Amino acid sequence: MFLGIALLTCSLRLVSRAQTPATQQNTGKENKNDAEEGEKRFRENCGRCHMPPESLSPREVKAVVRHMRVRAMLTAEDERLILKYLAP
Amino acid sequence: MNRALAALFGTLCIAFGSHAQSDAPNVPILSGALAFIGSTTAGATTYQPILAPVLLVPIGDKWLIESRADIQGFFAREDGTTGPYNGQFFANLDYLQLDYIVNSHLTITAGRFLTPFNFYNERISAVWIANLEDSPIIFPIGTRTSASSNGGMLRGAAISRPAWSLNYTAYFSATSTTENLQSGRAAGGRAGIFIPRLGLEVGGSYQRFLQNGDSNQSGAYVVWEPRQIPLDVRGEYAHSPGGKGYWLEGAYRLASSRTVSGPVSRLQVVARVQQFFKGNPAPEDLLPSADVNQFDFGLNYYLPHDVRLNGSYGRAYSSAGNFNVWNFAVTYRFVFPAWPGEKQ
Repeated sequence: MFLGIALLTCSLRLVSRAQTPATQQNTGKENKNDAEEGEKRFRENCGRCHMPPESLSPREVKAVVRHMRVRAMLTAEDERLILKYLAP
Repeated sequence: MNRALAALFGTLCIAFGSHAQSDAPNVPILSGALAFIGSTTAGATTYQPILAPVLLVPIGDKWLIESRADIQGFFAREDGTTGPYNGQFFANLDYLQLDYIVNSHLTITAGRFLTPFNFYNERISAVWIANLEDSPIIFPIGTRTSASSNGGMLRGAAISRPAWSLNYTAYFSATSTTENLQSGRAAGGRAGIFIPRLGLEVGGSYQRFLQNGDSNQSGAYVVWEPRQIPLDVRGEYAHSPGGKGYWLEGAYRLASSRTVSGPVSRLQVVARVQQFFKGNPAPEDLLPSADVNQFDFGLNYYLPHDVRLNGSYGRAYSSAGNFNVWNFAVTYRFVFPAWPGEKQ
């Protein structure tokens, strides 16, 4: 039962990520805007207390931003945009 | 057995595999810092090697397990200013908490967490963040016993608008005398208003300490970090039956913007003034037994590869005696995945 749900969930997520070429251009622009807004929110929130680490790999980003979400009381939108900035 | 395994696999797949929603993977990380601090206070020199590891384990899109320990040595001369150096190592668990993010307005935390009184303890007390290595004199107000609480906490952004937000925490803590896990019985909260356009946050804290004869602690804080200039201005005020006081700190990086652009822009000048006015302190308050005025001046240099050098001088004026405080520290901040995987 759980295995079925898990496989279904993973499949739906993969399907939802598939995009047509027509939408890819818009998505690219949105991603750029999101990343710029993410950088702004990163500097406003995370940069208030400390210098950012010199480098973060994409594998490290999610845990760091989740930690910051709790610590700095970021909103879901802040978390999403900062993730776009740190792991575009 | 097979159903149990399938259930386990399904749960793990949903939890750790949910990264497809935000593209970045859910990978636990090990972060923190290695530091070495040399300090001379009133002629007595001490050395402190410190390892402060932080473990972060995100689970799914809603959960986080986070923990920080503090393993440090303390080496001092046998008779204060003379004799051979002796020392020992201590370990303390600063926090080990489970966070459940309900939504943008509410996160529920259970376990051991940093006591959210004013902002110094939660936000900038980490050895790799604090601009000056010594905590402010009023730091024990609202954080006494161990600066950590064992219990539950609610926190979040009560109101979030583009122009401003209102953040809050509310918590309770139970008494613990277990070695390395001490905490006091207390309840309290904090609220702050943040205005991003100005880089300004102001807030206040309250705590009811529910042991050793109940008492109230209250505080207020201000943080101002203008967007265009690499200037940080921070300050706190705190009041308790044991005394009251404030500190105000300014830190300026020698750069024209917040971006590091050259060797000089890595240099930060720090100054802090603080005053403490004695009340009726009990020994467990960890507050001075006399009024104190102190100023500190420091230089931080942010080297490449997340290494920081820090040096500071301070002078304390007190009816119990004036004295100098010299500090030198080198800090290395690290972060790496705690889970094997492909390089990206």
